[in-house]
Amino acid sequence: MTDKQETLGDDLTRLEEIVRRLEDNELALEDALALFEEGVGRLKTAQSRLAQAEIRVMQVLKESGGEAPPRLEPLDG
Amino acid sequence: MSGPGEAWTVQRLARTLKERVEAEFPATWVRGELVGVKRYPSGHLYFSLRDELAKVDCTMWRSAAARLRAPLEEGSEVFALGSPSVWEERTALRFNVAQVLPAAAVGATTQQVERIKQRLLADGLLDPGRKRPLPRYPARIAVITSTAGAAVRDVITVARRRWPAVELVVIGAAVQGEQAPAEIVAAFATLCRLDGLDLCIVGRGGGSKEDLAAFNDEAVCRAIAACPVPVISAVGHEVDVTLADLVADLRAATPSQAAEFALPDGRDVVDRLGVIDATLRRLMTERLARRSDRLERTRDRMANALAARLRAAERRLQAIAVTLSPALERHVRLPRERLARVAGRLRPAIDRRLARDSAEVTRLAASLNALSPLRVLGRGYALPRDDDGTVLRRVAEFRPGRRFTLTVSDGTVPARVEDA
Repeated sequence: MTDKQETLGDDLTRLEEIVRRLEDNELALEDALALFEEGVGRLKTAQSRLAQAEIRVMQVLKESGGEAPPRLEPLDG
Repeated sequence: MSGPGEAWTVQRLARTLKERVEAEFPATWVRGELVGVKRYPSGHLYFSLRDELAKVDCTMWRSAAARLRAPLEEGSEVFALGSPSVWEERTALRFNVAQVLPAAAVGATTQQVERIKQRLLADGLLDPGRKRPLPRYPARIAVITSTAGAAVRDVITVARRRWPAVELVVIGAAVQGEQAPAEIVAAFATLCRLDGLDLCIVGRGGGSKEDLAAFNDEAVCRAIAACPVPVISAVGHEVDVTLADLVADLRAATPSQAAEFALPDGRDVVDRLGVIDATLRRLMTERLARRSDRLERTRDRMANALAARLRAAERRLQAIAVTLSPALERHVRLPRERLARVAGRLRPAIDRRLARDSAEVTRLAASLNALSPLRVLGRGYALPRDDDGTVLRRVAEFRPGRRFTLTVSDGTVPARVEDA
């Protein structure tokens, strides 16, 4: 399962952190520039992710027991 | 008080009592133990209700008895809804019962819920400190509910409107009926095997109070408490609070409300992104402006400092020059003049000395020349020497065949001793 993909939420959380760090006056200029660059990139990603977001609705198959991750199928309606 | 002439008939007494009692008492729930239950062929039921201190005879007419869900059980605790009346034939009070509920279905339920609550409380599961904060931007949410109910649809509708960047994973479970607690607990076990979950919504659409039983179940409550991600309960009841609501990290009245709580509003996030964009640029501009200000200030400060130091050095130099002049007079000029005077006197003395020494050298050279072996060779002598330059002085040193050199007045001649 590819659950470690970055999500819109990750983008937003990181962006908040970047803003917070940039507000720290002690930050070295080089670091600030790197953060700024990352922030602008993240911002673009987040905006396009948000624009393309499409809700996914899955359901767990009844018979999927055991230890392995349960099997999923798209839920209609 | 009336006289004997005005005496009532017995029937009048009985009827009057009946009328008064029936007028005075609306229908009332009475709780008591069932004793002497008798069913007559007519279909009417006769029994008594009693507690430790009192007893009342009851009648349940056929029409009411037909609506009983279960037969009345001798000795059981019940709630009976009825109104008192008077049986005229005996002038006896009767409680006419319209409905009977076993106390186990009513009183016992609330008592049992209370006992479970005490146990959960004792285990700290109702501790407000246990409540986990909800993730701000959940990407994957489990929804435990009946796939047949309206709850899933309601959650999807809200998610589509607020935060479409989410994946909902529906874990089907009956949420009412006898199977419900076991299925909900199993659903939580399934949830534990799902990766990347941020949140769980457990609940059902609206319904009657009896349907809430599964959400007062102890195993369900403990499954919610043990859930690895925060849980929002959404039992679909505005008024009643279930034990599941108390254990959950957050209580929502309905599944729609749970989704509202769970998901950020996309429009707010778009606004927030705009604010972040502006903030990033402002912070960077400010920082760069501050930086270049500082550079300029630093440059100015350095220039000023340098100029100040130069001026200070110049002042010191001048001060030294002033104090130096007499010292210079003393230590430099006077010794130099003295030296010049000495040098003036020294030159003739040296010249005289050199002339004398030169004459001496010429004389010594002449006498040295007279003693030189070269002078002797000039007179016809020769000097035999071996390769090392050692002078050969004796006949024995001239072995037959030996090579040597003969030094004469104007050079050397190679020579060899004749064989014997």
